[in-house]
Amino acid sequence: MRRGTIPAGAAAAALIGTAVIFLAAGPGANAQSTKREPPLEIKGDASERPWKRFAGWPARDESKYNTLGNLASPPAPKQPRKITKPITGDAQKGAELVADRNRGGSCLACHVMGPAGGANLPGNVAPDLSEIGNAGREDEWLFNYIYDARVYNPETVMPPWGSHELFNDQEINDMVAFLKTLKSKAVFKTELDNPEKRPPPVEKRENLDPIENPGMWAVDKAQELWRQKTSSGFSCNTCHSDPKASFKAWAASMPKWEPRLNKVLGVEEFVTRHAKATTGADWLMETDENRAMSVYLHFLANDMPIHVDATSPEAKAAIERGKVLSQRKVGQLNMACTDCHGKSANHWIRGQWLGEPKGQYDHFPTWRTSLLAIWDIRQRFQWCQVNIRADELPPDAKEYGDLELYLASLNEGQKLSVPGIRH
Amino acid sequence: MRLLSRRTALALGASSAAFTFIGLSEDASAAAKEAADMMAKFTGGKTVQQGKVSIELPEIAENGNTVPLSISVDAPMTADNYVSDILVVADGNPNPGVATFQFSPLSGKAEASTRIRLAATQNIIAVAKTSKGEFFTSQKLVKVTIGGCGG
Amino acid sequence: MAEKPRLKLPTEAKKGEVIEIKTLLPHIMESGQRKDKDGKPVPRKIINKFICEFNGKPVFTANLEPAIAANPYMQFHAKVEESGTFKFSWTDDDGTVTTAEEKITVT
Repeated sequence: MRRGTIPAGAAAAALIGTAVIFLAAGPGANAQSTKREPPLEIKGDASERPWKRFAGWPARDESKYNTLGNLASPPAPKQPRKITKPITGDAQKGAELVADRNRGGSCLACHVMGPAGGANLPGNVAPDLSEIGNAGREDEWLFNYIYDARVYNPETVMPPWGSHELFNDQEINDMVAFLKTLKSKAVFKTELDNPEKRPPPVEKRENLDPIENPGMWAVDKAQELWRQKTSSGFSCNTCHSDPKASFKAWAASMPKWEPRLNKVLGVEEFVTRHAKATTGADWLMETDENRAMSVYLHFLANDMPIHVDATSPEAKAAIERGKVLSQRKVGQLNMACTDCHGKSANHWIRGQWLGEPKGQYDHFPTWRTSLLAIWDIRQRFQWCQVNIRADELPPDAKEYGDLELYLASLNEGQKLSVPGIRH
Repeated sequence: MRLLSRRTALALGASSAAFTFIGLSEDASAAAKEAADMMAKFTGGKTVQQGKVSIELPEIAENGNTVPLSISVDAPMTADNYVSDILVVADGNPNPGVATFQFSPLSGKAEASTRIRLAATQNIIAVAKTSKGEFFTSQKLVKVTIGGCGG
Repeated sequence: MAEKPRLKLPTEAKKGEVIEIKTLLPHIMESGQRKDKDGKPVPRKIINKFICEFNGKPVFTANLEPAIAANPYMQFHAKVEESGTFKFSWTDDDGTVTTAEEKITVT
C-alpha cells in the first residue's frame, strides 16, 4: 500500500487497494469524489482573465455588435433608403473597393464580379454579378442591397455594409457605379479561378503519421507531461498509469454537461480543472500544455465514434441553446455559424471551401499548417468570430460549451482522428 | 498584389531553351530576374533542354506557408549516368532560391520531396545537372489560395 | 522538452534495393522576412544544410534556403548494397549540427 504525503494547499491522494479516493485540503480545492467522479477545481476561470485576444489577431473593438454572449447590434432598418437621384460614383474606385480584403473580406469572397480583382479565385456563396449591369436593376435597389440587404430579404447572408458602417455612402455609390458596368461574363485566367469549375479540396494527408503531421509532436509532449510530477509529488501517471486503456473512449464522449459547474465542459476545460484539483498543475486553456493534453486525450480515443450524451434534460437544453447560438447573427458582418456552414456549405468563400458541420469536429485539436500551431475547437470558434468582426468570448465561456455540445451532437458517429492537419 | 500579365524571356547559352516567366507584380519580376541569374550561374551558360524533370505541386496551395513539392528526374543513376545536382527556384519569392539537392549513384533515384514557402502565386523551376554535364529543366505554376475571410 | 527528429526508413532490405527515407526536423526555419511586433525584422535562422550518409559516404545532400518551410521535411532514396548505418545531419545557421542515426540490415 502506498501512502502519499499531504502537501500544503494541494490535494492529497491515498491509494487503498484498487480504489482511488481523493481527499481535498487547502483553499480552492474541491475534490469530493463519491462514485469516483473526477475531481475538478470548481472555483475561478479556466482561462486568463481578463481574456486577451491572441497576438497577431485583428485588434478591433466590436462591442457595438452582437456576440454569442451579448446582444448589442442595432436593429435592421424597416425600409430601404430612398434614392431620388441617379447614383453617380467612381466605377474605378468601386472596382478597387469590391476587391479590398481589408474591408471585411471583400465582395469577391462570395461573388464573381467580372474582372474585379483580376477574377482571381472569387467565391460562389452568392450570385455571379458579372452581368448585373444588364439585369435591369434600379439604382435604389443596388444601393440598398449593399447598404442593408435585410430590407429586401430578412434571411440574407449579405453583411449590412452600410448600416453596420463598413462602407460610407460615397463608397457604396462607387460600388454601384462599378456594378452598373458589369455586362459580360467573367473571363478567368485558369479554370481553377472559376468557382463553378474548381474541384473541392479533398483532405488526403496521413494526419497520424508523425512525419506528415508536426502536430504529432504534441502527443510526445503530452506523454512527458503525463509523467511530470508537480510540487505535490504527483503526476497524471500517479493515478492513471495506463492511459491507453483508461482513455480508450473518453474523449469521444466529450463535451459533457457538468452539474458542479452548471455548464458544458469540453476536454480542454476539464484538463485545466482536473489537473488543478489533483496534481496542482496550472494548465490553463490555450496554453501549450493544455493543448498537448487535449491532443493526447483525443488521440487515445482515435477511431472511436463521437457519441455525446444528448438525452439527459441538461444535455438536451444545452444542445438547444447551442443550436440557437449557431443561428445568431453576430459581429459587424452580421453572420451566424449557419450562414457559412449551413446556407453556404459546399461553396467557395474566395479560395476556401466551406464545409458542413458534420466532419468539422472529429479532427480537433488540429495542426494548422498556415500557423505552425495546434488549435483546439474553442480557438477555432474564437477565430471565426473575430473574422466576421465579432468580439470573441473567453475559451471557457458557457456559450462555447453549448455550441460545442451542439456541434458534437451533429457529429454523432464520426470517428475521432486527432491531431488533424489542416490549413 | 495585382497579377499583371507580363512575359519576361531569358535566353541561356547559344542554342538554348528560353526561360519564360509569366511576370507577376513589380517585386516579383525582380525576383524572376534573380531566379534567372541563379540558374545561369548553376548552368554556367551551357545549353539547357526542356524535359526529363517532373515537378509535383498542388494546383492550388492551401496557404503559402507549407506547400508540398516533389522533384524527380528520369535517369538511370548508374556510375556513368546519374543526376548530380538539382537546383530549385521560386520566381516570385523575395529570395528565389529554394534548395539545391545533390545525388550520387548511391541515391538510387534522382528524386527529392520537401515542403516550401511561397509568397504568392508563382512558378517553381527546377534545373537538373547530370554526370555527363547535361542540363534539363521544367517549371510549374502554383496558385496560392486566397483566404475567404478578410483582414 | 525538445522535440525529436522523426525518421522513417526500413530496418531491413535486400542487396541492391532502393529504399525510401523520410525525415522531419523540428525547427522554426526563421526566414528573415518576418517582422516582430515593433516592426523590426526577425533575424534569419534556418537549417541550411541536410546530409544523409551511409557508412560514411554521402547518399543525399540538400542545401536549403529560407523558402524551405518550418519543420523541414526531406524525402529521398538510397540504394543499399551492404548492411550499415545511416547518419543524418542538419546544420543550423549558427553552426550547431543535429544528428541522428539508424541501422539497416541488408541481405
